[in-house]
Amino acid sequence: MTADTLLSKKFDKLLVANRGEIAIRIIRACRELGIGTVAVFSDVDRNAPHVRYADEAHHIGPPPARESYLVIEKLIEIALRSGAQAVHPGYGFLAERAAFAQACLDAGLVFVGPSPEAIRVMGDKQEARQTVQAAGVPVVPGTEPGLSDTELIQVAATIGFPLLVKAAAGGGGKGMRPVVEIDSLPDALNAARREAEAAFGDGTIYLEKMIAESRHIEIQVLADMHGNYVHLAERECSLQRRHQKVIEEAPSFVVDEALRHQMGQVAIAAARSVDYVNAGTIEFLMDKEKNYYFLEMNTRLQVEHPVTELVTGVDIVQEQLRVARGRKLRFNQDDIKVRGWAIECRINAEDPYNEYLPSTGTITTIRLPSGPGVRVDTGVYPGYEVTPYYDPLISKLICYGETRGEAILRMRRALEEYRIMGVKTNIPFHQHMMDSHRFLSGQFYTKFVEDRFSMSDREAPDTLEAAILATLVAHRQGQAASQIVAPGSRDTSNWKWLSRWERLQR
Amino acid sequence: MKYITKVNDQEFIIEIDQEGQVSVDGRPYAVDFQQLSEGGILSLLLNNHSLEAIVEERENGWEVLIRGELYSVDVQDERAYRLARARGTVTEITGEATIESPMPGLIIDVLVEPNQVVQKGDKIVILESMKMENELRSPRDGVVKHVYVGPGASVEKNQVLATIGDAA
Repeated sequence: MTADTLLSKKFDKLLVANRGEIAIRIIRACRELGIGTVAVFSDVDRNAPHVRYADEAHHIGPPPARESYLVIEKLIEIALRSGAQAVHPGYGFLAERAAFAQACLDAGLVFVGPSPEAIRVMGDKQEARQTVQAAGVPVVPGTEPGLSDTELIQVAATIGFPLLVKAAAGGGGKGMRPVVEIDSLPDALNAARREAEAAFGDGTIYLEKMIAESRHIEIQVLADMHGNYVHLAERECSLQRRHQKVIEEAPSFVVDEALRHQMGQVAIAAARSVDYVNAGTIEFLMDKEKNYYFLEMNTRLQVEHPVTELVTGVDIVQEQLRVARGRKLRFNQDDIKVRGWAIECRINAEDPYNEYLPSTGTITTIRLPSGPGVRVDTGVYPGYEVTPYYDPLISKLICYGETRGEAILRMRRALEEYRIMGVKTNIPFHQHMMDSHRFLSGQFYTKFVEDRFSMSDREAPDTLEAAILATLVAHRQGQAASQIVAPGSRDTSNWKWLSRWERLQR
Repeated sequence: MKYITKVNDQEFIIEIDQEGQVSVDGRPYAVDFQQLSEGGILSLLLNNHSLEAIVEERENGWEVLIRGELYSVDVQDERAYRLARARGTVTEITGEATIESPMPGLIIDVLVEPNQVVQKGDKIVILESMKMENELRSPRDGVVKHVYVGPGASVEKNQVLATIGDAA
């Protein structure tokens, strides 16, 4: 059997190789389509909701992901043992490991995603850049790695300043060095080589144009096995902290219909360059003049996919499953219209008032916001322990409105309604952002949170009320403790009860 | 009954005595306070201003969640407050301050040495946990007294990493 016939195999039972909110998201789509679901869980996830939502669940190992959710052999073995014919990797974990996609195909399982080759090419920074560039996709101006200093200094003039000296082996902002003028370039090259050698054991460097105050705009693409490609417009993901997205929205404040069409076609060209199939995302950097450059392609479902779902009406996970079953896309480009506005806030277990330190502990209380235009994707529950084993994402709060303004007002309202106790969350950060003038006017860029946003000017509005409430509860508890007989359940108000006690004690 | 209640750095004197009547720093408030049976929800009508909140007790005080903000609240009745004061435990952060690990993780770097003078807010230790590097900073001005860990060490939650004391 060739890989192609395997890919178009029908399936009615699927293993979800993930946990948390994304596992639930996938299980929901499967249930809607009548596909049976198999969940996997580590020692600490036995009580997680994805286990209960699934038709079947199998223990996969100890809490550390490398001994459970990342063990390809175990996942394949459970899939085969349970009779699943397909695997959905979600995001994170094994979603962008070509070896996992290959292992699924080798075992006769449908992998809900692109081919292993597409994952491999897009996972290699340089190869991805060369491949999409050959397909006419703009990339950030720069050099290949491995040039000599003399060559680099020559090319630098044509790239223009400011530029970045980057380590070929680096990533996530490590090993980068900005240079503003040609005179300081030779020293910077020397220093960067030494640094890269020391940090990564590889002194290979290259130059890249520095795009100041750039935005992160990405295009969602869907492709079937029959050569049909459709883009689902853009997402604005410029609000990040330490290269981690925290707030995403669709559409973008800075993209109009003409630019959307143009970027969409470029994104499709990038996807075509690797014969992409299934859902994928092309990430672009955009400068102030709205020039955009290919950053990378994510060959999987994205965390922030719900904002696109809300403004296009397309259920991306359902489409992924249909495509994996060999069906044609049910719509063409003309059918896709962006309507309204959607914003997503990632609710993380971290303390926005204390350097965003992760907050571990047990969630004691959760009450979700609801009402018009509110969607919550979450995988935690009262009693859930936030551990260092997995990422600190508690949930995604997504709000929809007819306009951006309405979406923001709804988000403010929903953030106030959300109740999570037991760990600290970044909800106050989101509230402060929703109040910020720069956010309201769409004036932000990828370094905005680090450069210009501070929690220190936020005033906690209900200090007096908090004081009164804690005192009332403490008082009641003290009174209850001093009683000889427990009060049992009272049908009168607590206050009547309380005052009776006080009168008795006079 | 009289309570001294602290939220962040603000102190309130709260008296609870008559039915539905509470005074804060001498100012009276009409209070209707209900504890709902579902999920720890409290309803407070404060001069008919309606608030929903969750109040939970922690090891070292109370946590109150109102409209997305979490408040750490310390409540002491008058007697306990006077006793504590007499023992000198109600003071500002002088004395030795400890830098504790807020979660299990790996020490990436220690940026200070014993006897080094530090300012409040200076980075002391870089801790990696949950795939993130976290900067732990000095809570006060002073001098580094002890450093208990080095780069590469695995630490547990609440483990003491360093202490900051007064200049000799």
